[in-house]
Amino acid sequence: MKDMTGCNCDCLSGGQEAMTRRTDAIIDRTGTTRDKLIPLLQAIQQEFSYLPSDALNRLYERTEIDRAQLISVSTFYSQFRLAPYGKHIIKVCIGTACHVKGADAVYDAFKRELGLAADSITTADQQYSIERVACLGCCALAPVVQIDDKIFGHVQPGRVREVLDEFESLAASRAQEKEEEQSKDVQGEVRLGMENCCQASGTAEVHEAVVQACRELGINIRIKPISCVGACNQVPLIDVATPDGNIVRYPNIKPDEVKEILLHHFRPASRLRRLRNAILNHIDTFHTDQTWDNILFTPEKERTQSINTFLGGQYRISTEGYGHLNPLDIDEYISMGGFEALRKALTTMSREQIVDEVLKSGIRGRGGGGFPTGRKWQMVSRGDSKEKYVICNGDEGDPGAFMDRILLESYPLRVIEGMIIAGRATGATEGIFYIRAEYPQAVIRIRKALDMCRQKHLLGQHILDSDFSFDIQVFEGAGAFVCGEETALIASIEGKRGFPHLRPPYPAQSGLFGKPTLINNVETLSQISYIIRHGAEQYTKIGTEGSRGTKVFALAGKINHGGLIEVPMGTTLRQIVEEIGGGVEGGESLKAVQTGGPSGGCIPAELCDAEVDFDALNKMGAIMGSGGLVVLSESSCMVDVARYFLNFTSEESCGKCTFCRVGIRRMLDILDRLSTGQGKMEDIDRLEELALSIKRAALCGLGKTAPNPVLSTLRYFRHEYEEHVQGICRTGSCKQMVKLLITDDCVGCTKCARSCPNEAIAYTPYQKHIIDTSLCTQCGLCIDECDYHAIKKVKK
Amino acid sequence: MMKITVNNRTLEVSGERTLLEELRDAGCDIPSLCYAGKAKHEASCMVCMVRDVATSQMLPSCSTFPTEGMQLDTESEDVKNMRRMSLELLLSDHRADCEAPCVVVCPAKIDVARVILHYDRGQMDKAKAVLRETASADQLPCVGCKASCEKACRRGTLDTAVSVRAIIEEVAKYKAEIPNTASSAAKVQHSFSSKLGRYSEAEKEWLKEVYNQPSRCLHCACEGKDKCKLREYASQAGIKSSRYGVSSHQMVKEQQHVSGRLYYEPAKCVRCGLCVYNSRNGFTFQHRGFDMQVLIPEENKAHIDEHLADLCPTGALFLRQD
Repeated sequence: MKDMTGCNCDCLSGGQEAMTRRTDAIIDRTGTTRDKLIPLLQAIQQEFSYLPSDALNRLYERTEIDRAQLISVSTFYSQFRLAPYGKHIIKVCIGTACHVKGADAVYDAFKRELGLAADSITTADQQYSIERVACLGCCALAPVVQIDDKIFGHVQPGRVREVLDEFESLAASRAQEKEEEQSKDVQGEVRLGMENCCQASGTAEVHEAVVQACRELGINIRIKPISCVGACNQVPLIDVATPDGNIVRYPNIKPDEVKEILLHHFRPASRLRRLRNAILNHIDTFHTDQTWDNILFTPEKERTQSINTFLGGQYRISTEGYGHLNPLDIDEYISMGGFEALRKALTTMSREQIVDEVLKSGIRGRGGGGFPTGRKWQMVSRGDSKEKYVICNGDEGDPGAFMDRILLESYPLRVIEGMIIAGRATGATEGIFYIRAEYPQAVIRIRKALDMCRQKHLLGQHILDSDFSFDIQVFEGAGAFVCGEETALIASIEGKRGFPHLRPPYPAQSGLFGKPTLINNVETLSQISYIIRHGAEQYTKIGTEGSRGTKVFALAGKINHGGLIEVPMGTTLRQIVEEIGGGVEGGESLKAVQTGGPSGGCIPAELCDAEVDFDALNKMGAIMGSGGLVVLSESSCMVDVARYFLNFTSEESCGKCTFCRVGIRRMLDILDRLSTGQGKMEDIDRLEELALSIKRAALCGLGKTAPNPVLSTLRYFRHEYEEHVQGICRTGSCKQMVKLLITDDCVGCTKCARSCPNEAIAYTPYQKHIIDTSLCTQCGLCIDECDYHAIKKVKK
Repeated sequence: MMKITVNNRTLEVSGERTLLEELRDAGCDIPSLCYAGKAKHEASCMVCMVRDVATSQMLPSCSTFPTEGMQLDTESEDVKNMRRMSLELLLSDHRADCEAPCVVVCPAKIDVARVILHYDRGQMDKAKAVLRETASADQLPCVGCKASCEKACRRGTLDTAVSVRAIIEEVAKYKAEIPNTASSAAKVQHSFSSKLGRYSEAEKEWLKEVYNQPSRCLHCACEGKDKCKLREYASQAGIKSSRYGVSSHQMVKEQQHVSGRLYYEPAKCVRCGLCVYNSRNGFTFQHRGFDMQVLIPEENKAHIDEHLADLCPTGALFLRQD
């Protein structure tokens, strides 16, 4: 906090000379070739919080990078900024799940709370900057906001002040030193999920509470961070394991409940301490005015029941070891059979045999298209080149999807094992993890896991004393959805704009730096060790004829229990929604399930009995995609959903080909007209014509699939489009077509008037309140506040 | 050698040349904007597309290589409609007039725009020569004319129209011996003429500031219209106007001097990238998606050669005539 200029470094005090020196250090450790541009920019931004022009000029002087390349690349990726930001960055997630739960209102609320004008994003005191981000991958906790590295879930527009207060108090308390007690005599174990979403819901606080409680009670237990259990809707969640082997799960835990839970399972060190704690607890109870009965002891079974249902009905390959595996404990992973597959592949199988096994397994790429993985491996394996690459595609950019993030964060070793096997099978020399910028935790975990593998001789020269040498490095994406497309991904590693190029040639023939390159999705690679260890035959027993194995889905949207699930291919959507997800939130009825993100489509409720596999989804006009499942209820407007996705793709389009760059924009123009009540009937036909043409003529897979959200909603919900032409949006999602109205149910309690941030409701106690629609921004705060359900959205 | 089928006709090809090269040699008429012979290019405009009969997908022929047994369709209504759509999409982001409104409406077919251009540059003899092409020295057709030129004048939407007739009269009176060069090499007539729509308020203010020559003329006519492929193909496709309207973020008539006689006008750019790929540390892309622009940074202008104007398929890059 040494200055208020927004730049959190001493570049100002040190002047240009210091900046040059620091930039030089970055160049020295990163490199000077053109392909190093993105890592260079990332390092500069990390150092100075933005890209200062003096630092960029230094790049022109000292590296091969020129102005044309730098402008072209730095303006392509959304990560880079040319102006300094505030001290703290507030990222409001506008992913699909957050969108359907009102992320826009949250964004507006933060801007209002921080006193930001419409076009400004940084506060006058340079404390906060705010931005929208595509998806933070915490969809089950929507709406989600990230401030610096701290994630907040279930943020309501009326509660943004509390979020800011909490963040500020947290920042203050962080300055205090933390200490952890280590002891040999362990009475048991407490397991906590430490993923992004768990942290978002306060696991960090629970962790601290556990540490503190142990100290106070004098009990010695091991606190173990574990991988995601997938029950993201039930977090924070702890598992208590006692020496007798019992595990009791406590979902939705609060920090102040921790002590009591521990007391229930473990005996404090001494009688005196026990007594003291008993008294203190009483005092706590009096002081905090809490009723402890409803939290603990009696309804234990009830508490755990719903979550067990959620976790049942699943089949785990990619997420094997969920709930007890420490993501970064390599010995534990090995003890569970980890790296057995690699050993088998290196010692008893030839390269051809490995490829054959993968071919026989019938596994298809989990990244979206469903291309047979074995065929890709075969092509690269046959490629005639000394250098070949294996790339793990972790650029999961679909809003509403977070499978890859969790796999990378929770099961990094399994993905790495799959990648080494892929390297062996294809004869590759080098592996690259491409991980999107929004997943810093995944980058840290993967880096640590790679180091461990190197120490264990699982990476590097002569792996496990075989003739196979292979190492893996990490490349961080810079914020571009299109880089999930493999040719665009390669372009970005080469230091270029993420422009896809026409295939053929396929990356398997001519990929990174012109060499044969295998690009597989995170989830695909995480299934490989199972196939090699148990054999293709075992694998083909799971799933359906055309789609083998299991599929990991990110279940989010209007669902009771959202989270990460892994089910055999062929499970029906209804099973997923009703049995695993516990049905639609708030007792509403299911309207549709959106699969495959911006490239996918909406499957109406009446088709949800279809078995989920690649071909069935394609037939219904959706796609498997990477596996985001967003549940839409009767209160979701399908025109709004289509518009949301088109808005996303138009912002993420790379701009190379006419149909994607201009065509999608023109589709969005039409959808904008429809959602503001200015559409005409012929607009619907024109929209469909454009959509069908873009599908046939866009250059890359992303452009070709971008119209799917519109085409599928037109196919199943055309009547909603027609209603919008008539000026009707039944759900009230299209703001400009509805207004808020206070009905006669109003008792004049004034709550709405007090909650309104725009003073659109006059303060009239004991009288029916009236909304001034010219001032109302429809933020919805009053609706949330009203205890009498007296505020309704009605047609304008 | 391999065999492919084009419009039900079998063709023998080597497989080493692109479809566009093979098909054009075989006599197919295929338009293209982002392809310019040997120059470096990347498929982007999609105007050259042909239909893969097997999949019904459209392929950019400029960058696709033939494969054995490939079946193509280059001339069906379907293909023509798709090409037409790509042109209309490009035109919907193309804020420019091909012809100056005053020229379009002149009943005497005087090239008013060129007369005023020379007038503004003080080249009275040249202005008079242009006038001579259509108007006899003795009798001006403007006398008694209802002056639709002044009614159509875009300047009129800013403040008041250019006094076209007064200027013509002044030029006509100018005493100069104009050799009788029957210069009128038959000009190509295009049926398509782009129209930019209305100026925004910001544009109006900006135009008033910049266009302050003696005549106050905005010089609406495109200086690259004679070499413009976009106009040529739009005419061939029978396009009258884009069905998607015209909307663009680009400021109209924002002409930047690049080097020598070379100028760049972003509002006419179709983002094909030919100037980017064929200049070293010169033109570059900026931003992405619909907001993507082609940019020439001030520092890079020195690296640019005039010949780039020949590569540009529209009037975005043009050489200013004397």
